[in-house]
Amino acid sequence: MNAAIETVGLTKTYGAKRALDGVNLVVGEGSIFGFLGPNGAGKTTMVRLLTGLAHPTSGSARVLGSEILAGDAIGSEVGYLPDVPGFYEWMTGAEFLEFAGRLFALQPATLKGRVKTLLALAGLADVNTKIGGYSRGMKQRLGIAQALINAPRLLVLDEPTSALDPIGRKDVLEMLASLRGRATVFFSTHILADVDRVCDTVAILDRGRLVMQAPMEELKRRYGARKLVLEVTEGADRLADEIGAKPWATSVVRSNNGAIEITVADMNAAQREIPALVAAQGLGLSRLDTGETQLEEVFVELVGGSQH
Amino acid sequence: MTGFAVFAGKELREILRTWRIWVLPSIVLFFAVTGPLLARFTPQIVGALVGNQLNGLKIPTPTYVDAYVQWIKNLSQIVLIAVIIVYGSLVSGEIRSGTAVLVLTKPLSRTAFVIAKAAVHSLFLVCVVVAGALLTWALTWLIFGRAPAAPLWSATGAFLVLGLVFVALMTLLSVLIGSAAGAAGAGLGGYVVLSITAIWKPLGTYSPAALTTQPGSLAAGKDVTALWPILTSLVLVPILVVLAGQILRRRDL
Repeated sequence: MNAAIETVGLTKTYGAKRALDGVNLVVGEGSIFGFLGPNGAGKTTMVRLLTGLAHPTSGSARVLGSEILAGDAIGSEVGYLPDVPGFYEWMTGAEFLEFAGRLFALQPATLKGRVKTLLALAGLADVNTKIGGYSRGMKQRLGIAQALINAPRLLVLDEPTSALDPIGRKDVLEMLASLRGRATVFFSTHILADVDRVCDTVAILDRGRLVMQAPMEELKRRYGARKLVLEVTEGADRLADEIGAKPWATSVVRSNNGAIEITVADMNAAQREIPALVAAQGLGLSRLDTGETQLEEVFVELVGGSQH
Repeated sequence: MTGFAVFAGKELREILRTWRIWVLPSIVLFFAVTGPLLARFTPQIVGALVGNQLNGLKIPTPTYVDAYVQWIKNLSQIVLIAVIIVYGSLVSGEIRSGTAVLVLTKPLSRTAFVIAKAAVHSLFLVCVVVAGALLTWALTWLIFGRAPAAPLWSATGAFLVLGLVFVALMTLLSVLIGSAAGAAGAGLGGYVVLSITAIWKPLGTYSPAALTTQPGSLAAGKDVTALWPILTSLVLVPILVVLAGQILRRRDL
């Protein structure tokens, strides 16, 4: 698979602060790539470097095969939405989209059709007021529309859903999912549920460093292989305490439905000993299964400790 | 070229559809109207204010020259200061509001962005000042019965060259200084420095500094050669604008 984005040792410092620290990232063409990280991790810095808005301290970035030279206009095949998009407030939404489309030198007929389609997609087709009167959510939706005006091969979005209500968020995520296979979508966010919902690949950034990059399926498989779910007919509390004392159990949690969720350090030992423990206590074993790991758990495990 | 033309068109529409269409034109047209009137009635105004205290000192009968000098004096002081203040946020305003980020991640270079802004606002200043000069010319003719073209237009033209220098300077300062007030303050400082350096003969003869005083002399019908300061100014304007573009290219947005 060709790389839509490739960075090598990308570093950005502000004085003594290292906002981005030697990031090596590969984003495959056609993927929906979630760039996760807590606030202040360096996500926006990364996006600004990829769009040529900021100069790297060291390292390099290639976007759609071309090296990004900060200060120069980026290619016409990239669409970009900043975290807080700024618009000419005296324009209407349609006027801004026309202006953006003309910067890409779109033909008038193509532009007219795209403006109409994108305004409808953004839910702004019947809004004739100037952008100055828009709510933050409306501006965010217009921002996504303008990022799509050139039908980009690569869409770079910085926190695209952060200003949206639940319905707006759902619409945007569905729209991003609909681009799967047609365009590469790279979006930064701290909302794990959004990544879980639409992304096929994810990278996690923590304090300027890339701590993990993997396809979602592999990620869940890798971390899911460390989790067991156990259900017994009775006496679950006593069993949970006993399991919690074992060296191979890193955490034991009781779920709402009464099951015991065990994160294990040694899966083989756990699978051997758990049935024996159940039998030793004379309990009935209803279920012993590998659990599905939520992205949140992976995220907390990878960056959670460093937040405190 | 496409991006430049599209962005320049946006600048033009922004002038026509925002406060910008009111501020400079209102100031210039106000002085275009009041200049000839003030010149015509100065003796009466002075007489009413000081009464018999002049002890027989006669105020000369005003002529078209007084109207022209008044017009140029207002341009060189109040209008130039207004230009400095208005354009203190020419580039930084777009950076601060986030619009520059959206525009500059499309096929538009930072240099084209800066040049388009400077070019459109220079054109706007020329249009406004020419409109004001036409108005003051017509009123002078109506009030004084005589309004020769040469002194008025040569003086207005010389001022306009200085105006273009200041639009270019403010373009540069608004790239260098993020705060509109800070850039305006630096621009006013530049104006003061330019006015003072005009006292030194070489600069007062050949550099743009000469244009702080020469328009007044031209309006008064004095024999002044403004060729050198105009030439050096016209060389300085693109240098300032291109420099602004280059500095913006090196900046993080």
